[in-house]
Amino acid sequence: MRESAVRPGDMMAVELSRLIHNGDRVFHGVSSHLPMIAVLLARHTHAPDAVHLNIPGGVNPEEPVLRSWTSAGDELWEPAVAAFPLMDVFDLSMRGGLDVAFLSGVQFDQEGRVNASVIGDYRRPKVRLPGGAGSAVLIPTAKRAVIWRTKHDRRTFTEKVDFITARGHVSDIITPLCHFAMREGKLIVESVHPGHTLAEVAENTGFPVQYYEERETVPPTEEEMRWLRRIDPRDLRSIEFG
Amino acid sequence: MERKLFSLEEALTSVPDGALVGLGGNTLNRAPMAAVREMIRQGKKNLRLVKTAGGMDIDLLCRAGCVSTVDAGFISYESEFGLCSFYRKAVQKGEVVAHEHACYTVISALRAASCGIPFMPVRGLQVSDLRKVNDYFADVKDPFSGETLAAVKAIAPDVSVVHVQEADAFGNARIWGPVYEDALLARASRRVIVTAERIVGDGYFAAQREKPQIPGFLVSHVVSCPRGAAPCACAEEYGIDGEAIRAARTEGGGQP
Repeated sequence: MRESAVRPGDMMAVELSRLIHNGDRVFHGVSSHLPMIAVLLARHTHAPDAVHLNIPGGVNPEEPVLRSWTSAGDELWEPAVAAFPLMDVFDLSMRGGLDVAFLSGVQFDQEGRVNASVIGDYRRPKVRLPGGAGSAVLIPTAKRAVIWRTKHDRRTFTEKVDFITARGHVSDIITPLCHFAMREGKLIVESVHPGHTLAEVAENTGFPVQYYEERETVPPTEEEMRWLRRIDPRDLRSIEFG
Repeated sequence: MERKLFSLEEALTSVPDGALVGLGGNTLNRAPMAAVREMIRQGKKNLRLVKTAGGMDIDLLCRAGCVSTVDAGFISYESEFGLCSFYRKAVQKGEVVAHEHACYTVISALRAASCGIPFMPVRGLQVSDLRKVNDYFADVKDPFSGETLAAVKAIAPDVSVVHVQEADAFGNARIWGPVYEDALLARASRRVIVTAERIVGDGYFAAQREKPQIPGFLVSHVVSCPRGAAPCACAEEYGIDGEAIRAARTEGGGQP
């Protein structure tokens, strides 16, 4: 595969999955096809003992048949091995037992503050966003909050967010262009995805782009792609690029 | 035991304008759509809606002008169908007030109500702007350690509307598949209206190993409502009707 031919949905799913360590207890919510697929991929590859937690409460669903219109339905419940509903997942995070929470948002600043609430004033917003779902309690309480966002532009990665829905333990942000990692309280470019450049990342980022060394994200391996196609034959990992 | 079978119209007539109404299900999963349509048909006004993660139910009630406030953590049709544009416009125009929660703070507010206490402490929220701008959140000090936590004010819905697969005439209601927050919602609310895919016979649940999650004594009305979640999905019964959802999302299009 030529490097430039790596599709963003594939690259993001794979890079998200690599952030899951074996044994991690991992949660994703609604509108979360990319992290859902990343968790399934991790459990088939490097993290077979990771624990998949979700909104319907189906622990470790085995080979679920994924649906285009939800990442929180009975497809994750029917083939699960145990029941652990959403409120239990939140309680687990509150007592310090959730390792990874996958969340998203609309604006992010260099310190990892997340806005998923409003553009403009909270009470009379220019744009009312869907809301942060679990973010306001999970980002500060989960050991690592991993963010994915399928848009990478200056309005998304901005000097100052309009509203702080959540802040806390953001550890990484994966975009179609790069992997940001939190180092000493600031997001730095950990690696740039194949087919993209640091200059392109800088051009599309509203805060100063910093990095320790120029690195390319490891492209999806053959094994990762084989599992991706099996887990997600309908390419729902690309649904947000529609 | 009191028999509580009513028509959809009778059941929803019991919901007054301005009521605090909890909605069962999650996004497009097992949303109580038949009850939503009936509330719209009856021209309800100033409903105050409560749900952890809502979608088409809240969007259509906003489109019909039935809503004054929405307490929720997330409002969207999820990724395939996108944003709740009627809800969004209503909030942006100032017609509906969005009380944004984290999904967990809705759960905490319902737990407080369910326990009969005025608030529930939670972690993490104290560093969010949501804590600052909303009067249903406050700081609270642990009287034992002195640690400051966020407090979430109790939410006790006047009534909750929950769609289930099976219910009997006494209101005992069995959910198959994901329960989401519906069992808690039933306990936090003053009463529950149950719509059911099937009304089962009087002795049915007594003979089952799996018991209903919602006992009939919490329920005021039971309605026989086949396809009562459509065009949203109902686990083990039917999936979504994507065409109907798309139609309803366009201005003036589809049947609400």
